[in-house]
Amino acid sequence: MKKKVIKYSTLAVAAVIVLVNSIYIADLDKIKAENLSKTFDPASYAADFWNNRLPSKLPEAVDAGELVRMLEEDKESAFDNYSNALGIGNIRYFLISGEGVVENVEENFVSIRTGYEESPLEVHIATEYIFGNAVRDASGIIDINEFSNTMDFNNISAEINRIIRARVIPPFKEKVKKGDTAAFTGAMELNREILNLERLEAIPIELIIKNR
Amino acid sequence: MMKLRIILTTSVLIAALGLGGCRQKKDDGEPKRMAVIVSTLNNPWFVVLAETGATHARDLGYEAHIFDSQNNTALETDHFENVIASGFHAILFNPTDANGSIANVAKAKAAGIPVFCMDREVNSNDVAVSQILSDNYSGCVALGKYFVGKLNKQGKYVELLGLVGDNNTWNRSRGFHSVVDNYPGLVMVAQQSADFDRNKAMEVLESILQAHPDIDAVFCGNDAMAMGAYQALVSANKHKDVMVFGFDGAADVVESIREGKIAATGMQFPKLMAKTAAQNAHEYLQGKRDFPQKMPVAVELVTMENVDDYIAYGKKGE
Repeated sequence: MKKKVIKYSTLAVAAVIVLVNSIYIADLDKIKAENLSKTFDPASYAADFWNNRLPSKLPEAVDAGELVRMLEEDKESAFDNYSNALGIGNIRYFLISGEGVVENVEENFVSIRTGYEESPLEVHIATEYIFGNAVRDASGIIDINEFSNTMDFNNISAEINRIIRARVIPPFKEKVKKGDTAAFTGAMELNREILNLERLEAIPIELIIKNR
Repeated sequence: MMKLRIILTTSVLIAALGLGGCRQKKDDGEPKRMAVIVSTLNNPWFVVLAETGATHARDLGYEAHIFDSQNNTALETDHFENVIASGFHAILFNPTDANGSIANVAKAKAAGIPVFCMDREVNSNDVAVSQILSDNYSGCVALGKYFVGKLNKQGKYVELLGLVGDNNTWNRSRGFHSVVDNYPGLVMVAQQSADFDRNKAMEVLESILQAHPDIDAVFCGNDAMAMGAYQALVSANKHKDVMVFGFDGAADVVESIREGKIAATGMQFPKLMAKTAAQNAHEYLQGKRDFPQKMPVAVELVTMENVDDYIAYGKKGE
């Protein structure tokens, strides 16, 4: 009897020791952060996108004046042929380009008059509110299914926009004046169902002052 | 001892056969069945999601049953076990927890039942057949831009977060902060979770207002909390001085925007998500297999300037 008590007590103690050493408690947020930092670096991804992948897409940008004409004549075809979006819904993005005269230099944007002589239009180049997915999505390069967590995907936009704010806007804004001739390539968001062509706004990718 | 082993082994075998029999799906000419497992029916947004999914499944010829997880992952697990044991053919799923719900989807997959996530994702790319998600981050980027403009780049604000285990909470918050944090004149004086719940939001903001009575705005991670926040502001007689921003596109908030009470919301499209999930499930059961793992659905900013183009959870004319 005494032997049995010792035997079963020893087994019980051994079982508890094994159980306790099998369980690890760790802060979930810390583990998530560690895994995120190990597996994905949005800044590097965005830099690669900006330097190596996006430039080859820029020649495909549609002229802004031509796009407006197509949207007015056949909205559905224009959206089908020239816009990109990663999912479903009415918001879509266009890669656009243009050249024209700088009409206004304001706190939050610079407007450029471009388009055809018979139907000029004003494109507002955002210089303050550089946010959103326009540049990431307009190119059609990136596939959301590369990422298991959509937060990684979202962080790419933030990093791309950081590049634009640091490298594209300052040299342009320092020098641009009303009356200059400027060329732009950028990304523009439009709503397929609620199409508003009265105020066109683009996030810039390239900005060149041509007369200086 | 030998007798005990025989009894135990036989019992296990009988149980296994019995469960296996239960898992066989009905294939006797009766309509196939889809389960709609939704995080909660205590929020009208999810009621629309669940009912649209069930209705569209029925329109496609399926029996459809709605299961309410009451924001409880353990209850969600019970629903999955029930659905698997009862032989459902597909699951339209709105997870309670992006990580905690993975195991449930994996179990369904192992049982041969395809799962289609709606609105919320699970943090795995190889358990659900597809995940149809609102682009919450982008929606709140747009909201953040509008917020900065309305406050003229300065002021004090409060943020009320949703459920902390839901990726949508953080997608929305980060989208908002990716804009607003660039403006040092905009100061967040408090950030607290109110679990996407109207009553809790009212209580939380009432408490915050005791310490910070002079705020200029409240950003809420969903419309239910926005209405709760508005109620708290009315009680404190501050509703005319403090702007409230929500997210979802609920009927009461769309109407409140029209009346000038709420400043803006991000319009989600639960009907589109639910219909797409039901349609995908139907196509899967017809034999299709190539579905994109993640399908974002664009969120649209609704403000006083464009509210006439929208109704609750959608656009006019839809």
